[in-house]
Order: sequence, then C-alpha cells, then structure tokens
Amino acid sequence: MFAEFDLEMPNSLDEAVLALARSDGIETLTLAGGSSLMVDIRARRVVPERLISLARINELRRIEILGPRITIGSRTTVSDILRSNQVAEHGAALAASAEVFAGQMVRNVATVAGNIACGSPAADLVPPLLSLDADVVLTNASGFRTVPLADYFTGFKQDVRRPDELITAISWDVPGAKCANRFYKLARRKGDAITVTGVAVTLGAANGVCTKARVALGAVAPIVMRARAAEAMLEGSTLTVELIEEASLKAAEECQPIDDIRASADYRRHAVHMLTRRLVAGAWADLHLATEVS
Amino acid sequence: MREKAIVFEVNERQHCTTIPSHRTLLEVLRALGYVDVKCGCEKGDCGACAVLVDGEAIDSCLTLAWTVEGRAITTVAGLGNSNNPHPLQAAFARNGAIQCGFCTPGVIIASESLLRKTPNPSDDEIRFALSGNLCRCTGYTKIFEAVREMVLTRSGGVLR
Amino acid sequence: MSTTVKIPATHLETGSRQVGRPLERIDAKGKAVGSTRYAGDYVMPDMLHAKVLRSTVASANLRRLDVTKARALPGVVCVLTGADVPKHMVSTDIPGQTGSWGQNTGQPILVHDRVRYFGEPLALIASESRDIAERAMTLIEPEYEPLPGVFDPIEALKPEAPLVQGVGNVVASQMVRKGDVKHGFETADVIVERVYRTQFIEHAFLEPEVGLSWIDENDVINIHVSTQVIEHFRVVADAVGLPYNRVRIRGALVGGGFGGKEDVTVEIYLALLALATRRPVRLEYTREDSFVGHGKRHPFVMTYRTGVKNDGTITALEAKFIADAGAYVFLSPSVMVYAATAAPGPYKIDNLIADAKAVATNNMYTSAFRGFGAAQACVAYEQQMDEVAKAIGMDPVKFRRKNYMRAGDRTATGVVVPSAIWTEQCVDQAWTALGEPVEVSGPIKIGRGVAACLQGYGRLTSLHDTSEGWVGVERDGTVTVRSGVTDIGAGQVSALAQIAAEVLGVTLQDVAVYNSDSAVTPLAGTTTATRALYMTGNAIRQAAEAVRRRLAQRAAKAFNVPPDDIDMAFSKVFVADDPAQSMAFRDLVRICAAEGIHCSELAMFCAPFTEKLNPETGQGQVHPDFSYGAHAIELTVDTETGEITVIKSVGAHDVGRAINPAAVEGQIEGGAVQGQGYALSEEMIYKEGRLMTPSLSEYLIPTAMDVPQVKCIILESGSGLGPFGAKGIGEAALTPVAAAIANAVADAIGVRIAELPITPEKVVNALREKE
Repeated sequence: MFAEFDLEMPNSLDEAVLALARSDGIETLTLAGGSSLMVDIRARRVVPERLISLARINELRRIEILGPRITIGSRTTVSDILRSNQVAEHGAALAASAEVFAGQMVRNVATVAGNIACGSPAADLVPPLLSLDADVVLTNASGFRTVPLADYFTGFKQDVRRPDELITAISWDVPGAKCANRFYKLARRKGDAITVTGVAVTLGAANGVCTKARVALGAVAPIVMRARAAEAMLEGSTLTVELIEEASLKAAEECQPIDDIRASADYRRHAVHMLTRRLVAGAWADLHLATEVS
Repeated sequence: MREKAIVFEVNERQHCTTIPSHRTLLEVLRALGYVDVKCGCEKGDCGACAVLVDGEAIDSCLTLAWTVEGRAITTVAGLGNSNNPHPLQAAFARNGAIQCGFCTPGVIIASESLLRKTPNPSDDEIRFALSGNLCRCTGYTKIFEAVREMVLTRSGGVLR
Repeated sequence: MSTTVKIPATHLETGSRQVGRPLERIDAKGKAVGSTRYAGDYVMPDMLHAKVLRSTVASANLRRLDVTKARALPGVVCVLTGADVPKHMVSTDIPGQTGSWGQNTGQPILVHDRVRYFGEPLALIASESRDIAERAMTLIEPEYEPLPGVFDPIEALKPEAPLVQGVGNVVASQMVRKGDVKHGFETADVIVERVYRTQFIEHAFLEPEVGLSWIDENDVINIHVSTQVIEHFRVVADAVGLPYNRVRIRGALVGGGFGGKEDVTVEIYLALLALATRRPVRLEYTREDSFVGHGKRHPFVMTYRTGVKNDGTITALEAKFIADAGAYVFLSPSVMVYAATAAPGPYKIDNLIADAKAVATNNMYTSAFRGFGAAQACVAYEQQMDEVAKAIGMDPVKFRRKNYMRAGDRTATGVVVPSAIWTEQCVDQAWTALGEPVEVSGPIKIGRGVAACLQGYGRLTSLHDTSEGWVGVERDGTVTVRSGVTDIGAGQVSALAQIAAEVLGVTLQDVAVYNSDSAVTPLAGTTTATRALYMTGNAIRQAAEAVRRRLAQRAAKAFNVPPDDIDMAFSKVFVADDPAQSMAFRDLVRICAAEGIHCSELAMFCAPFTEKLNPETGQGQVHPDFSYGAHAIELTVDTETGEITVIKSVGAHDVGRAINPAAVEGQIEGGAVQGQGYALSEEMIYKEGRLMTPSLSEYLIPTAMDVPQVKCIILESGSGLGPFGAKGIGEAALTPVAAAIANAVADAIGVRIAELPITPEKVVNALREKE
C-alpha cells in the first residue's frame, strides 16, 4: 500500500485522547478495525498524516448493562455484538444488522464506533441504533459529552465530532417488555453486500396503543435518517393495516434517496415503503404476542 | 514515527523485523515468505488473505502490521503440511473443495475460525462464516461438504 | 454425502481402475496446506516492481504524456510510453500452436495517439519498490483532447456514429443460412418475436494477473506468469522483435481463468521492461488493475423470431445478435462464430437465419469468457423456448421434447454430430430432480425453470488444433507425464495423471506431471474452449498407450503369451486370464531399459481439420463435437421487494465419460453459481465508457450465503471424442444456468424480465407494468 503517515499506538484511553489533543493542525484520524478507513487510505480518498490506532485499548471493548442503560464500548466489534446475549435481548435490530454485516473477517475487526464514524448512510449498524434512541459518548482530554445519535450526523460524511474527540461508547435505554425492535437489510446480494435500503423499527405499546414509534432508514438519504412524520402517524394510535400502509408511504415520501449503481431512487422509495410496512406490522405483531404471553 | 522494529509470531516462529507504519500485515507476511497468504483485492472484499490472529480470523490486507505487535499469527501453512495436514485441510482436499486453490487458504482459515468457536455449526452458520470468502470456481457446494464432514468427524457423527 | 446421480450408458467399458473414480486430485493437498506456488509467489534478487498507467478517459487524443517527473523520481528505473515502443502492436490473434488463421487485435501495446477505452495502457513503470512505482504513477499527467465516443453498439452502427474500429464499427460478423425461412414462417400458426439482452461480465478469478520476467544467461526472456495459454510466447516474441525460441513462458497453477487469462495479460509489458532494464521485473495487478486490464464477456442484444405450429413444431427461426465488442477486436470474430452457430440451441430447426455482429464502441473490449458466445445465445434461445411454449399453450418441457435435435439430425451448420445427443435425458433428469416444491405464502412466489444447451468442445475446427504430450516410465515403476497444458483449477493436470495411471496400471500417486513450460514441456495448446481434457487427454492417452504396447510386448515374451493377453494394474504386469503369472511393473521397466526398449513416447493428437465456414451460407463444421446438458432451478421471488432466492439448482450433463466424477461435479457446481451470478447479480457497469463497478464490493459474484447446495446429475453416454469416451464439461456447466433462472423468475411472477441481470428493481418494475 502506498501511503505515508505517522502511526501511534496508545495503550489506554487517556493516552489516546492526549494524542488526539496533540494534533497541532496535522491531519489526524483514528483507526479502529480498519475495514473502512484502510480502504479509503489505499484508494487515496483520505490522505492522513497521522493515525492513532485504538488496537491496544481493550477498555473500549465491552458490553455492559448498568441500571436501565446498555452501553457498548466503541471498540466492540460486530462479532462481539453477535456473541452478546445482552444485545440479542435488548437490541434485537442491532443483532439482526450484525447478522447481515460484511464477512467474518471484517466482522471480527469492524467496530460499532467505526461504523458510526465512517459516516456512510449505508452503515448497517446505524439504523438499529437510531431506532433504539442511542446516544454517542464523545471523549476528549478534558472530559466527555453525550450526543443523541439522532443529532450526531449533520450531512453526508459530516458529524458533530470535534477533531480532538473520540467516540468512546454508545448507549441506550434497555427497552421494556412492551417494546419490539426489528431490522431488515435489502441488498443486491445476500452475503457481504452494501445496503440498498436498510430499515429499523422500534415500537412501544401500552393498552393496545402504540406509545412509541421509531423508523430509521439507511441508504436513502445523505445520512441515516428517522422517518419522523411516519413515526408521528403511528404514535398514539392503535395500528391497523391501513394506518401502517399510510405511515409506510409517508416514510417513503420523507426519504431522499439517490440513483446509484445499486438501485434507483425510485426503487429505494419503494423499498422503504415495503420494508417499513413489513417491519412495523411485524413489530406490532411481536408486541401483540408479548401482550398475549404476559 | 514511520518505521520501527516489530516483534510478532507467525506459525510459532518469532520474527523481529523493521516495518514502515503503512505496511499491511499482508504485505509483511508475503515479504517474509508466507506466500500462502494470498492477495485478491486488498480491501476486505474477497477473504483470500485471511489469517488467524490469536485464533481469530482477520483480513490481513486491512490490518496494519504494527497493530499485531506481540501477537501470534497463523496462516494456512501453519495449520498443517502435506505430510501432516490439519484435518480440515485433509477434508478440503478429499472432498474436492479445492479447484484453482487461490481462495483456499482464506476459506480454510475462516472455516477453522468458525469451528474453534462453534464446533457444531448449522448449514446457515457455515454459510454466514464463509460469506467474506469469495470463491469463483467451486460454487461453494464442496466447501460446505468439507466443513460438514469435519464437523461430523469431530462430533462423532452427530450433525445438527 | 454427494448429491450426484450417475447414469452410465450400458455399453461403457468396465473394469477401469483409475478413470471414473472420484479421486483426490494430485494438486489438492498442496493447495490445502498452502505449499502450492502461484506465479505471484516468485521473486528474484535485484527484482524491479512494475505498474501500468492507464487512461482515465474513454475516447480522446493523447496530446501529451509528460513522464519527466516520474523518471526523475528516485528509485524509478524505467518509464516506457508509446513513443518508446513505436512499432509495437498487440499481435495476439487466435492463440495456439497451429492457428491456420489469425485476427489482429489492432491495439497498440501502449497508446500512441488515440485512446479508445477507459483503462487503455499509456505507460509502463519499473522501479525499486511498489510504493515508488505507485508514487510515480501520480507524477504522470496525461493531456487529453476529448473526442466524441460511442458507448452503445446499436448507436455505433448508425452512419453518424464516431468511428472506433473497422468499417462502420463492425469488427466481426457471422451468418448462418439453412433451409427456407420465408416458407417456414408462412407455414407457422404462431410467430413469437422477442428481444433478450445480456450485460458485460467480469471473470473475477480470485488471482489477479501477475508475472515475473528475467533475461537468462542465453539471452532468453523468461516469463513466469499466470496464464491459460503458454503459447503466447510467440505473441510476446513478435511484440518485442525476438525469435520465437528466445522467449520462454513458464506457467504456474493458475488462480482461476474462465477465459480472462486467454488473451495476453502482463507478458508483453514484462518482456519490454526486462529488455529495457536488463533486470528481473515483477508485475502484479491489483484487483482494480485486473478489472480494467482484461476483456469482458460480450453483452448481446438478441432478437429472436420463431415460427411454430400449434402442435409445437418449430417451422422457422430468425436470430439476430448484436454484440458490444468494445474498443478492440480481440476474440470477437470467434465469439460471433460460436454465437451464430448455436442460435437454435439443441433443437432441430430446418429453416434458420442467424446473424451475429460484433460492433466496436468506446467501452472496454470484450473477448473470451466461459461459454464464449454460445452462453449468450442460450440465454436467448432458452427463454424464447419458454415464450413460444407459452404462446401456444404448451408445457415448456413437452414443447422442448417435440423439437430436440436427435442422433442423425443436422446442426445449424449442416453437420451430423458424431456423438450421442442426450438433451432429452438431461432435461428430464434435471427437471424431475427438483422434486416437491417448497411451500410459500403471502408475497413470496415460487417459480421453476429449465434450460437445455449445447456447447462445442474443442476449438474451432478451422483452427487445426493439435496437442502434444509425453509419457515416460521410470525404473522404480513411477510414471512421468510432460505436457504444456496449463491448469486453471479444473484439475486439468490431475486428469492427465489419472489417464496415464489407468493406461499403465499404476495409481495416481505413482504419476508426476510436469506442465506448463513453453520451452521444455511439449506444447499442448490452450486451456480454453473446453479442450484441455479432450485434446491433451487424448495426447497423453496415445503416448501412454504407445509405451504400454512396447512394455506389453516385452512382458508377453516373458510370459510366453500374445501381447493382447497382458494386463497391467496395481503396479503389476500379469496375464489377464492367469494373474499368477505376473511381475512387478518396475521390474518390467528395468528389463526394457536394459534391452534398449523405448520407455517413453511423445504423441500428438489432432482435432478434425476443416476449412472456415462457407462465407455465403455459414455451413460447415464448427466444432469437433458438442456437449449437451440442462439445468433446472427452483427459486422464490419476494413480489414486494423483488428479492430472489435460489432454492434448488440442478445441473444434468452428458459428459460422455467422467474421468474424475468429483472434478465433473466441481465444474457443474461452479458453473451453476457463475451462471447464477450472470442471471441475478453480476454486471460491469460502464457510464460513458468509465467503469462504475471497479471492485468486488460493486461487482457482485455470489457468496456462500447466496447459493443453494447444487445438485449434479452426471450422465455418461460414453460417446465423446475425448479419452475413454469423455466429452467436455467446463463451459457447458455454465451455459444453461442463467436461462433456467430467467425462466423460473418468469414462472414465479408471470412476466418476463428479458434483460440480465434480473435485479430486485427490475422485478418490481416488471410487476408494476404488469398491473
């Protein structure tokens, strides 16, 4: 590979944020699993002068539940997610997205934070996290701040992270029993493919009424987006086939897809319509089933 | 820093070698003579360069060599040799799971990584574990058969 | 747990000890343990690293190519441009050792003045490291004067289109005329006309092109390279102006070919740089280099017009093919011959017009790919068979049965096929093997499809193809085979060992094969055109039988029986009816050696030699023989998203005789999955000539998660022209698959998507149009 950069390998989070603080105007990037960044460097889409590798910072590789929150360290890999019973239980959509994520070797290195930080609207883990109302923890040498994932992206490959900040964790409230969470990835191939349209849905219900609706859409806008108008149509109502259809059409209306080599904008809208309908109906059925069981 | 000496182990052999910061593990392994590690795409699409790092399969093309300092790497040649092949290697050869053979090192590494964690995988788990290894010759059918035979042998004849 | 069903003909010779057994290939273990060395695994002291700089525009005049900065970069040893190789053209034609006719590609080795496609080579760089070569690439800034380009073959045929090649951009054409088509259509009850389209396809072999060259002590240029064709040493010699015996190509086990390593790849660049620097030079393509560095499968537009009677008899066919040749000729003329002559498929159609034209555009050039034009034709003729059956309300399998070409019938070009035609058996077996359909509900629909095919094996008979091979026995009873054949992964070498072992009564482990060296192994010809087993296998069988005859004669003398009574097996030589009279094979070899009996043989096998097809009618012999086969598919379609899941995939092929059934299965399984990619996911997309799918994350070959367990049905008519009655399977395995999938999709959704690949989006759009 033809490139030149300084490579630093901090041993701890403290060392890492200090290293980031010392950037001095040098184009510095953090390297986690490398499955996205290394590809960009090789293609010379980015030409960093300095890389800070997180390979040795094991404290960032963890999944834990503290009280009502589930927290995933930023260097947790996709394979870690697949092996986690906590994620399976409290983030079904995230687990589902890990099950359609790249190939084994990439899953073994690709990290949750890397999937967020790469900024791709087709990033597979992001719609599920968005549907779970996840927060992103950003840390620098002077402390940390928490940003809702919904506010994290500001545009195509643009975000609120400052150059001296590192994504250190992603966390969300453990969903209650009256909550269902689903994800589907539509791609041109079943294994190891870039998403054409990804949809994640979270529904909450009480007394037969949808109390909470999150519809997150991947690869149909410059950023992974929430279909807020569709969500508003669902929240506060008892879901019927007609309402789900209307809300799904609304989601298709809200998204802003483009034509590319994988699919046309028109098809992506259609996919959003179909997948939202299917996932909302499925999630609603999950809730119904949960109610019946309880 | 742009160049330094790195110590790591490949197939149970210690190496200490001076490496520029931008070298990938794939480049370093091949330069050291581990040419059983194949280069098919250099961007994590094909899996031909897969090796085990401390027992876990990774694409060596996406890994900067510095990041494996102090770790143990196993390439397909480290699993066995022609006098004493690893059972999985023997199963691949016996089942005709190999045609041109260029994807084979990566496929065997990915299969081994799967079986170390999941000794009795389902067909879907085998497919999922191999989805990052492209093969253009075999259609995968005999690869599945080889892995299944291995599972069968190890589990004493019980297939899920 | 093989899924193979073997159906042998009753008359097959029995008692073979090596041939017909699913033996572990002799190359398998080395590949499994990583000890096999491919062309890219060799290095030499003082070696330079090369890169090829390519154009980033598709149609332009190259105004200026300033390489001063690149040459000045420390570590850069040599930069060559078109100006440095003024007279050189890529003089590849029809590769081979006899080639009675040729076709220049028309392409300069490096661009002189005009760029005709995106990725056309501009300059060669050799430097002390790959890093330096890559940096040097960024220091060369070509100046282009853009020229209007043409990117669609139908546009390129218009008189006002920019001229890329030839006269009116037509670079090759082939026609076939048989019977009275006008009369045929007049007697038809129904005429069905449809247009079918296919796409650019990339070989996507796992090993990108690579080679190492050096000049040895005898001033011979040696090139260790991954290639299907070591006979390109002549092309290299022509290109650099050396005598043929001063260029030596050493092949290696090839990491996949599929036609993509049939044309010259890196050899000429390596020779030029080695000559210019007098140092060893290594050139390894990246995946991106590979994608722009070799020709693709021709996209076809195929118009089929079929006349049929209500009883299902086809009365006439008019087939018109327009293929995108891209910017240079390469193998388009031969691809057109394959396509036009395969136009009716394995059906008896007495009134036929077929016209195939390859048209130059500013797209990537197209050339050989497994199936070679006949595969594209099958995409059309087998979809058309379903459409015609539907038009007359007949079951598609029944309709096919009514029209199969059978023994004694004449092909499209008027030839009686010399072997069995088991199309019906193949179709019936594949179709039946689908078994009970899976259950589906809601928006998921199930569909089934079948397609039959014919595929010539052996190169065009007008090429006068030959193959040489050498077999010798050693004094310890081992056997040595020498053959120039390249092994591209299908087990070409192992099959030769099996054949020699069978003839000489030893085991596979007793045979060593030395292959793929143009200077020291007998030239066996190309590994292309499903010819390696047929041609090289026959040559090795001939050589082994000659040795056996001499050994048997001597053994007969020892046992005092006629030579015909001698048998050889299990490394023993014995009297067939009285096995107690025996000696060790090696003892016999020692006796022969001591007595000066010749224990080796160089044999030459010749395919049928014919003239080219009649230029007025296209009649005459095309191939030595044909393979017949079929593929059946069951799949589901999600009618909401358009996603397709292949559930069952069954290939049934008459391979004549399966030398190694496991290897035959491997071909059928691999063909099934390549065909599935062709049908559903693969497409090289060019926008104004620029490649939009430059890597394996955009160009989508099927993964392990995309494919079903493929089922193989091997039929053995024993009637082939290959060794022991073998036919060829390499290409035929792929040919019918895409059409079977297209037919299954049409069955599932009730509307045909006549353009490959059948993407989810096309499914959704087709369903919308239907409503």
